[in-house]
Amino acid sequence: MDNQQKKHGALLKFVPRPDRPPITITYGPVGWLKKNLFGNLWNSLLTITVFFLLFLLLKPFLEWTLFKAVWSASTRRECLSISPDGACWAGIFPWVNNLLYGLYPDALQWRVNLAFAIGLLWFVPLALKKVQQKILFALMGVMLFPFLANYLFLGGDRSSVHYIVACSALAYLLTLYINIILTYLNGKRLEQHLETFMERFSKKRAALLGHSTIWFFLTVVIAYVFKDQALEHVGVDAWGGLFLTLIISGVSIVMALPIGIILALGRRSEMPIIKWFSISTIEVVRSVPMITVLFMSVTMLPLFFPNTMELNKLVQVLVAVCLFAGAYMAETVRGGLQAISRGQYDAAKSLGLGYWRTMIFIILPQALRIMIPNIVTSFISLFKDTTLVSIIGLFDIMLMARNISIDKNWLGLHTEPLVAISVLFFVFCYSMSEYSQRLEKKLNTNR
Amino acid sequence: MESTSTNPRTKPERTAIEITGMNKWYDKFHVLKDISLSVTEKEIIVVCGPSGSGKSTLIRCINQLEQYQEGTISLFGEKLEKNKKGANLVRDNVGMLFQNFNLFPHLTILENCTLGPIWLHKIPEHLAIEQSTALLNRVGIAELASKYPGQVSGGQQQRVAIARSLAMKPKIMLFDEPTSALDPEMIKEVLDVMIDLAHSGMTMICVTHEMQFAQQVADRVVFMADGEIVEEGPPEQVLKDPKWDRTSLFLQHILSH
Repeated sequence: MDNQQKKHGALLKFVPRPDRPPITITYGPVGWLKKNLFGNLWNSLLTITVFFLLFLLLKPFLEWTLFKAVWSASTRRECLSISPDGACWAGIFPWVNNLLYGLYPDALQWRVNLAFAIGLLWFVPLALKKVQQKILFALMGVMLFPFLANYLFLGGDRSSVHYIVACSALAYLLTLYINIILTYLNGKRLEQHLETFMERFSKKRAALLGHSTIWFFLTVVIAYVFKDQALEHVGVDAWGGLFLTLIISGVSIVMALPIGIILALGRRSEMPIIKWFSISTIEVVRSVPMITVLFMSVTMLPLFFPNTMELNKLVQVLVAVCLFAGAYMAETVRGGLQAISRGQYDAAKSLGLGYWRTMIFIILPQALRIMIPNIVTSFISLFKDTTLVSIIGLFDIMLMARNISIDKNWLGLHTEPLVAISVLFFVFCYSMSEYSQRLEKKLNTNR
Repeated sequence: MESTSTNPRTKPERTAIEITGMNKWYDKFHVLKDISLSVTEKEIIVVCGPSGSGKSTLIRCINQLEQYQEGTISLFGEKLEKNKKGANLVRDNVGMLFQNFNLFPHLTILENCTLGPIWLHKIPEHLAIEQSTALLNRVGIAELASKYPGQVSGGQQQRVAIARSLAMKPKIMLFDEPTSALDPEMIKEVLDVMIDLAHSGMTMICVTHEMQFAQQVADRVVFMADGEIVEEGPPEQVLKDPKWDRTSLFLQHILSH
């Protein structure tokens, strides 16, 4: 100030600036409330009315689920005597184990847990940044893991081939993890240690040979270590609950995409037999309700096989659900294929790429990317549709929940189990949808 | 610039493309009428004419992107059959550029270039990357190698497309209006690459309306109208002294623009 006054030569008279109006807070939760809900009288009235109506609506629901609910009781009668208007959650707890594992023996449930844990382990590396060849080991997982899981779930005397494949799955996962750890420690990958040795046999495929050798070696070791470990047999009849639901939906979700892609490509094929086969499969399966397909698979399929052959109900159901899911997926994939411009085909053809390479490298990656939302929608509805298998007597989570109401202690307890599994389904489906949105965002950054 | 007779490039007498009596119909519409055209190796041909005259269809037929009902096409004396052998013949000899670039949007620029060499020529990946980087350098966009096609300008995309075609080491390049989807200021950068290519001895057939380019490098200009070759000859004759009214009318439209 002083300097300025000296520059001007004369003293400037101080004139106070007029006061500014007080700041209205427009940030933070309070500001947001003020701005959006209580901006003026009319808005305030509206807000209060709406909140009052919401309260009226939610009050009975909250009372039923929380405030008047009974959390511990030994029978439904006891529940009702404590609080007749509340939910009887006490009935769910004794059944939790059955809801999760069905009739799988308690003492052997660690096998289910172990298999699911291994399955999860297989897919964790997909989220890691430094890991390469993700598609390869996802594919290996899809091909090998079912054998391992089936071996653990089923137990009993399996063929030696089955045992070896299960061991090789474990060995593959082990090499995968060792390699990942080595990559993060900036060390040499396993096969790179063997590379100089392997180059004697083949220069080009040294890495592949090295990896296969280690994999084979580990398989033998694992097979030897576990050779005396007999697993008790647990028949498919005992499988149930969320465990069974996850098996059915998992298998059908994994199989739906390849079946759908093949049918979609077949439908667009110029070869008449393939084309008409695909069209008729898609149209017939799509035009029939899923329940009838399920019933037919259980009642009709055995008619086509010799009497002596005993078919596994679960396998029959899996075939039916996969076919059904594949036919729906085919139309979704076809939508994506049609969105790809003709120029892409022209460019691929003039580069000299043949049909399969054009599809695998150029068309399908783009088509599937466009269709991610639709594909995930199909997956979600497929996941929920698998509850229909309860109708043909597989004890999936739905049938287990329905069974609570005929337990003599909890006779007539219909609503609570359904609400409980609804919450469970919501968690699963919502995470699928969240994952798909993250995937979309990640892939769209490349465009 | 003014005359091709002073062009220093030596021309062996080998015929690169020989088209005889080609006819094509879309249903009843006669798109190509009795086309016969012979292109010697290292010759630069510019095809022009009003839209709908069948220029694009002609070069798409040479690349086997379209089928034709009558006539034959031979590449270096070998007749082009409509089977796998013919497809291989085209693949080994011909590269093509499109009006809309048609790059693969889900692959990086480098991956666009290396895809063909790796999977069709079975070249080891590091070698393919080396070669493609050299080609991208040649068309002046080596620094964009790791970007995606959607992140670069139209002119740059078309230059990537040129590099992608060159990676397959074609002897003949076909250009289907390579600059007509571009903003004016980007046309020059693409034409420069094409001129460079012409000077390097590539056999080229260009469907284009860039008459400057035709005058500068073309050995012959072919004028097409209504599915027929109306006029063909050295650029100075066709462009400056056309024999046919259609040609002069068309040229007036283009040049006055």
